[in-house]
Amino acid sequence: MKESPVTSSIEEQPSRRTFLDALIACCSAVAAVALAAPAGLYLWPAAKGGGGEKAEVEGAKSLPVGGSKMVQLGAEAVILVRQREGFAAFSAVCTHLGCLVKWNTEKGQFICPCHAAAFGPDGEVLGGPPPSPLPRLKVQEAGDKVYVSKT
Amino acid sequence: MDRPGRINRFLEQRYNMEAVRGFVDKQIHKRLPPHTGWLHVFGSLSLFLFISQTITGILLLIYYRPTPKEAHESIKYITADVQFGWLYRQIHAWGASVMIAAVVLHMVRTFFWGAYKKPRELTWVTGVLIFIVTITFGFTGYLLPWNQIAFWATTVGTESANKVPVIGDWLQYFLRGGDAVTGETLSRFFVVHVIILPWVLTGLVAIHLFLMRANNLSTLEPVGEERPMDPAKGIPFYPVHVAKEGVVIVLLLAVLVALSVLSPWEIGEPADPLETPEHIKPEWYFLPSYQLLKYFQGPYGAVIGVFAVSLPFVFLFFWPFIDRTKERHPKKRPLSVAIGLFALSSALVLGILGYYSGKQVTLFGQRYRVTELGWLEPAANEAHPERPAKSEPALIIPGE
Repeated sequence: MKESPVTSSIEEQPSRRTFLDALIACCSAVAAVALAAPAGLYLWPAAKGGGGEKAEVEGAKSLPVGGSKMVQLGAEAVILVRQREGFAAFSAVCTHLGCLVKWNTEKGQFICPCHAAAFGPDGEVLGGPPPSPLPRLKVQEAGDKVYVSKT
Repeated sequence: MDRPGRINRFLEQRYNMEAVRGFVDKQIHKRLPPHTGWLHVFGSLSLFLFISQTITGILLLIYYRPTPKEAHESIKYITADVQFGWLYRQIHAWGASVMIAAVVLHMVRTFFWGAYKKPRELTWVTGVLIFIVTITFGFTGYLLPWNQIAFWATTVGTESANKVPVIGDWLQYFLRGGDAVTGETLSRFFVVHVIILPWVLTGLVAIHLFLMRANNLSTLEPVGEERPMDPAKGIPFYPVHVAKEGVVIVLLLAVLVALSVLSPWEIGEPADPLETPEHIKPEWYFLPSYQLLKYFQGPYGAVIGVFAVSLPFVFLFFWPFIDRTKERHPKKRPLSVAIGLFALSSALVLGILGYYSGKQVTLFGQRYRVTELGWLEPAANEAHPERPAKSEPALIIPGE
């Protein structure tokens, strides 16, 4: 018996069940995204405002030539060195894996205690695994106070 | 009617206890392949250690405070003032290392016995995931005492995250809860260590045990030629294998207590974000990766290094699908065995180099300094050789 055109066209269209299944799946997906999105934003660290632009290095003026001092600038550690030409400040965070460098007065270098990286007095890599030099920071002298800042 | 009888009747009137008893009976008296022996205890040992870590972890949680101001003090309080706090803290700290060792030994035994092959590929895959989660447990838990070594090990560890291409900076920012390791990092690691990972590991272990029981332990017969086991020849799980596991577990407990008493973990100095201690090293299970990273230098070295360190885990994960040979017996698959031995010895050599790098050693009467890359160079001041620190004994080869 030949299939009637009406029957065959009804069978080709999606059934009510299929439509409802798809609708429920879409609504569930939207609900899941609606629940997950604020949770994802919640997990993203909130920005901590302020405190990172400028920091005074206390006692900097009393440092001898070749002396150094560590100070916190926001979340970052900064090392100030008194060189013959004046003060120089660098990020103290080794560019290899984040340990803090120390100024070695004898060698005139910044040395990282973790993997023996060495940086010159200008922050350039002299040896070891670091991929890039120490970022230089700005030093400002105002009277007997010394400030370091990123810009 | 006596009490056990009353309880049984109570349960039987409400639940299908016959099915429950049948299931338990079947699992307990299941027959294991005849070659099952003492080398097959490491899986149960790992499970026991997970339970031990959970119990000691819950005990520590009662007094531990997850903030930078209180974390270190709370560890001191647990160690000095809480009755047996020192013991539970030491068992937890040593238990972490021993658990990783047990999981590794279990994987090594499984690898060399070819037990990862069809039809047990998914059991192996879940096992690799368990291994990764166990190491992550160690990494996250390490920060919680908030001492110098914890702080800087986490700084270095999370710094590696930003070497991942494209998403590295975001990944590091997310892991740390900010730009640097701070109290936000401690909070995140605490939640991961205490809530997320235990549930993840419980789920993985449940799936792993289910898959293991579904296929039973592997024999040494080739893939596709496993014969149904003659029950008369199999080893009953209970009491024979359970007895072996019981002996090993009791020995393990004795070892943990001995380590806790004779070689306790130090509390250490409180974390100082402005002072990186000299010669810090990660825990032994990270030493191979720590050393391997050093060999990749230059502007792209760190990126390549992170990939190199990740590769072993990728190989482990896909190994059942890479090695499709049919043989299981180690004598009949020399290539797999050679690869396994090479991987193990590489990890061992890198770990040893990582441990001794930066230290001075005495070899055949000569004093040498081990460079960061593992080479030997004459010690700088041979007229006045440095005395090694008490916690870093020098390697002395007879000849001095």
